[in-house]
Amino acid sequence: MLKQELETMFDNITIRMDKKNQLELSITKDGIMSVLSFLKNKGYDHLHVISCVDWIDDKQLELVYILSAYMKQDVPGETEQLNILLKTRIGRDDPKYITSIALFPAAEPYEREIHEMFGVDFQGHPRLTPLLLERDYDIPPFRKDFDTKQYVDNVFGSVPSVEGEDDS
Amino acid sequence: MDRNQLKKWFQNPVKMAHKYSLHVVYFCTGCGIIEIPPSITARWDAERFGIIPVATPRQASLFIIAGYVSLKTLRSIIRTYEQMPEPKFTVSLGSCPINGGMYHDSYNTIKHLEKYIPVDGMIAGCMPRPEAIFVGVTHLWTLIDKDMADGYKRYRSNYSAYRANQEKILGKLEWPPLFPIHGEE
Repeated sequence: MLKQELETMFDNITIRMDKKNQLELSITKDGIMSVLSFLKNKGYDHLHVISCVDWIDDKQLELVYILSAYMKQDVPGETEQLNILLKTRIGRDDPKYITSIALFPAAEPYEREIHEMFGVDFQGHPRLTPLLLERDYDIPPFRKDFDTKQYVDNVFGSVPSVEGEDDS
Repeated sequence: MDRNQLKKWFQNPVKMAHKYSLHVVYFCTGCGIIEIPPSITARWDAERFGIIPVATPRQASLFIIAGYVSLKTLRSIIRTYEQMPEPKFTVSLGSCPINGGMYHDSYNTIKHLEKYIPVDGMIAGCMPRPEAIFVGVTHLWTLIDKDMADGYKRYRSNYSAYRANQEKILGKLEWPPLFPIHGEE
């Protein structure tokens, strides 16, 4: 079974069966690439999304890789399709991580988005240019300490009304 | 045709022609696009009011901005608006272009559309029903009758202020000014 194989292959891995078909793996940050390539060879070759969570109290950012398989697996003991959530945590101050484009080319836009929304610098990514945002932000806007209300008051509130337009 | 309006037709045929054949370019930024297909097709049939959607802004006289305006779409809205031939009228749909609506504290959505381009009418609601679009258009008719739908004239006269506001939010714009800017050279 996949669970036992993962436990024997990797140290520091915690495995939890969330729901009936959802497997949650947590590992320290240096083990992600080996787990990803192991899972890819097992047939989990579809990267749904890379997501990021800001745990501001722990001073950590959590990266979540969500994988599944296109084809039904011929792993003995597996009766149905699994979704795999692979989680790791990296430091929040000046966050750096390795890109996973070499394994999953589909990771490119997700890593660009995390780069501009959370400020994670993916080493080896070919183009970490802005994807969605137009302006430069001091703090990346999806971090928890980004005060949206204050930002709106500073930036949009300071735009004057055009003369004779309205009375505000 | 209403016989009472014959006098108006003879007095100012150009204005009446503008009024009753509004060619619309829809800017579908957000949820507003949901209301547009039923209102231009058989269910509510906007052609009863002389509204017909056109393909490009260069053929249009009415600009309907449906939904919230993010910074990236604001750039396209300004370009679209500047391409339209005069006379041109702008109507915004929904509460987001008025004051931000439910995006009042969003980091990437502009709050007051009338600070960046002139808006002749605003239809409030989240989202307005297709009937509200027609009520707004009939209000626009009375505004055109009374020469109060003069957003394109205000854009011309206050262009430097509008351009300054646009550049304040979007940074340096990559296209040249449409009208001469006061205070330069």
